Amino acid sequence: MAEPAVQIRNIAKQFATHQAVRDLSLTVPRGTVYGLLGPNGAGKTTTIRMLLNIIAPDSGSITVLGQPHTSEGVLDRVGYLPEERGLYKKMEVRRVLRFLAELKGVRRKVADPRITDWLERLGLTTPEKDWGEAKVDELSRGMQQKVQFIGTLLHDPELVILDEPFSGLDPINAQALKDAVVDLKREGRTVIFSTHLMENAERMCDAVCIIAHGEKVLDGPVSAVKAEAGDRRVALDLGGGATNGVAEILNDPSLVYRMDDSNHSFEIELAAGADAQQLLSRLVAAGACIQRFELVQPSLHQIFLERVGAAGAVEEGLTGNG
Amino acid sequence: MDKFWTVAKREYLERVRTKWFLITTILAPLLFGGIVLLPVWFNTRGRPSADVSRILVLDASHSGLGQRIAKELNGGLFGDTSLTHLVAVAPGALARAESTATQEVMHNSVEGYLAIGPDVLTSLHMQYAGRNASSAVDMDALERTVRNQLMALRLERAGVERSQAAALSTLKLTLDADRITDKGRGGSGTVNSIFAFIVAFVLYIAIFLYGQNVLRGVVEEKQSHVAEVVVSSISATKLLWGKVIGVGAVGLTQLLISVAASMLIVNARRPILHALGLPQLPFELPHLGLGAAVLLIVFFLLGYLFYSALFAAVGAMVNTEHEAQQVQLPVAMLLVMSAVFIQPVMMAPESALARFLSVFPFSSPIMMPLRLSLLSLPTFDIVLSLLALVAGCYIAVGIAAKIYRTGLLMYGKRPTLREVVRWVRAAE
Repeated sequence: MAEPAVQIRNIAKQFATHQAVRDLSLTVPRGTVYGLLGPNGAGKTTTIRMLLNIIAPDSGSITVLGQPHTSEGVLDRVGYLPEERGLYKKMEVRRVLRFLAELKGVRRKVADPRITDWLERLGLTTPEKDWGEAKVDELSRGMQQKVQFIGTLLHDPELVILDEPFSGLDPINAQALKDAVVDLKREGRTVIFSTHLMENAERMCDAVCIIAHGEKVLDGPVSAVKAEAGDRRVALDLGGGATNGVAEILNDPSLVYRMDDSNHSFEIELAAGADAQQLLSRLVAAGACIQRFELVQPSLHQIFLERVGAAGAVEEGLTGNG
Repeated sequence: MDKFWTVAKREYLERVRTKWFLITTILAPLLFGGIVLLPVWFNTRGRPSADVSRILVLDASHSGLGQRIAKELNGGLFGDTSLTHLVAVAPGALARAESTATQEVMHNSVEGYLAIGPDVLTSLHMQYAGRNASSAVDMDALERTVRNQLMALRLERAGVERSQAAALSTLKLTLDADRITDKGRGGSGTVNSIFAFIVAFVLYIAIFLYGQNVLRGVVEEKQSHVAEVVVSSISATKLLWGKVIGVGAVGLTQLLISVAASMLIVNARRPILHALGLPQLPFELPHLGLGAAVLLIVFFLLGYLFYSALFAAVGAMVNTEHEAQQVQLPVAMLLVMSAVFIQPVMMAPESALARFLSVFPFSSPIMMPLRLSLLSLPTFDIVLSLLALVAGCYIAVGIAAKIYRTGLLMYGKRPTLREVVRWVRAAE
């Protein structure tokens, strides 16, 4: 399908004295996994909320699945998992799920068998115990997350929006979520998720948009973003760490423009005019114990730090409302 | 089906399914029935007790008055002379006789004593002291007896024949106050004001209860963060309406059950009273016509709408139920003030204050039904009150919806009043 899943044009939003989003435009192609990246407080959640018509942008336009996002019924084709998750604590799981499905216009007759399927699929109905009959607050945190995830997908949405889906997940559930996202894409759905964890985004996303301070820093397919950032990078792993001689070479501004030092591994951006061979021969001459020397594309994390700046990553919001 | 019905349905069913609903629905009619039957019970208790007669009469007047009173209290000529004892006292020894009598009361051998001074026929003053001195019914009976006997004695001294004097002085006067409305006689005035009070009080409780229910519902959605999922499917304004209507429907259900059950009890009161061995009601119960009943329901619904919108706005401003308790105070106070004015308005239902309170939207849902139960008011007054209330609802819901929409997804610091005003002003 030619028309994109989401088309945002020049939206802006101001809260009192704080400009949360300014002149943001982005396009999410259908059938892709799209990452909305940025530090806390960058405007990710505000953007998502505008997309879902929870708050109105001050200016600009938003199209979802080919229609203005305010048109009747279009948001019934979108599933949303907010960052702060929650359900009615005193309600039975099955009744909560039925309610969430009905809110999306799914009739009870259609919703009930789907609920049964999902509860079985995620292990919430076992021969010993049917958690669907239990009240929400009787469930463990992990089980509640699963229930919420089911609620996001019950109406079979074409577009799934996950806001910081990995926050608060243990490694096992995080892996399960990654698998689920891959499944969603395989089923032909579009997935947008926001995160400040670049490693997740790098592995899962087809395309990304990096925002900071409410503004777009860059966007596009991950491969293009990386290519644009250049390939003058070297991944270097050293056995035994850097000796003084090696450190001297790495700190030589005629060779190395920038370096991300992780003790044994280095991600190096070459200085203008320097080349990788030159660096390699100097390192060998200095007696470095090289385990890996590879010309690489930059990681998203690297690009993010370069473009947003280390300061931008920690500045402002720890509010979680970004 | 519009999604806001989905919300209303959830609010309704989740509440109706609770034990709380079951208990209050059963308790309310019992309370109603109790209130209807209670006057009867009080009425049977309302006769003077035998204690009135278990007293000493200390007579220092030597006029025969003490004897007459003792005879009367004992039940006349053939009465039980063991109850009231006459003690003739020398004029100067009354004080000592009183202190002896006090001892006897303290030792429980008698209930109290009546001291008749030497100059009673001119001073018309007597003293009673006893354990039952604070019982209005007993004191009434005693006073009546004393008055009658004193009058008879005075008549005799004025030359009236003894038997005639007795007949003339024994007045068993009862004053029944009946209420007259445009529709004719409307039953006992006292019963009517009790009924009016019940109406006002039930409205006050119901509006408070269900307004609080909405408040708690909003805080719950906000605190548990469900709100964000819900408003991604339905607008905040529709969510607010769905919630208010769903909870209101619970209130209406309960009110209708209560009213129906109470009417059943009232209509079946004869067999019920009979079965309980109580005498029949000595008064006519006020008749509640269909028109008046509908009007009461309308006032309840509008009053509930008005206050629940305000409570919902409060809910959206806070983060926890604890905070809600503080912030709701101004709203709750307005409602409590209405309840405080029930008494003054009952005393003077046609006063300027009463008129004002029955048009002012903060108090009219309680005050207008109260006055309607007390008086027959011109249609114009009723329409004016309703219009003012509808206008009040319109404004309250409009303001509340704006606060709700903005506040629902705001966490952290509680907004200042100025910020809230800005939310309301921010056009959308």
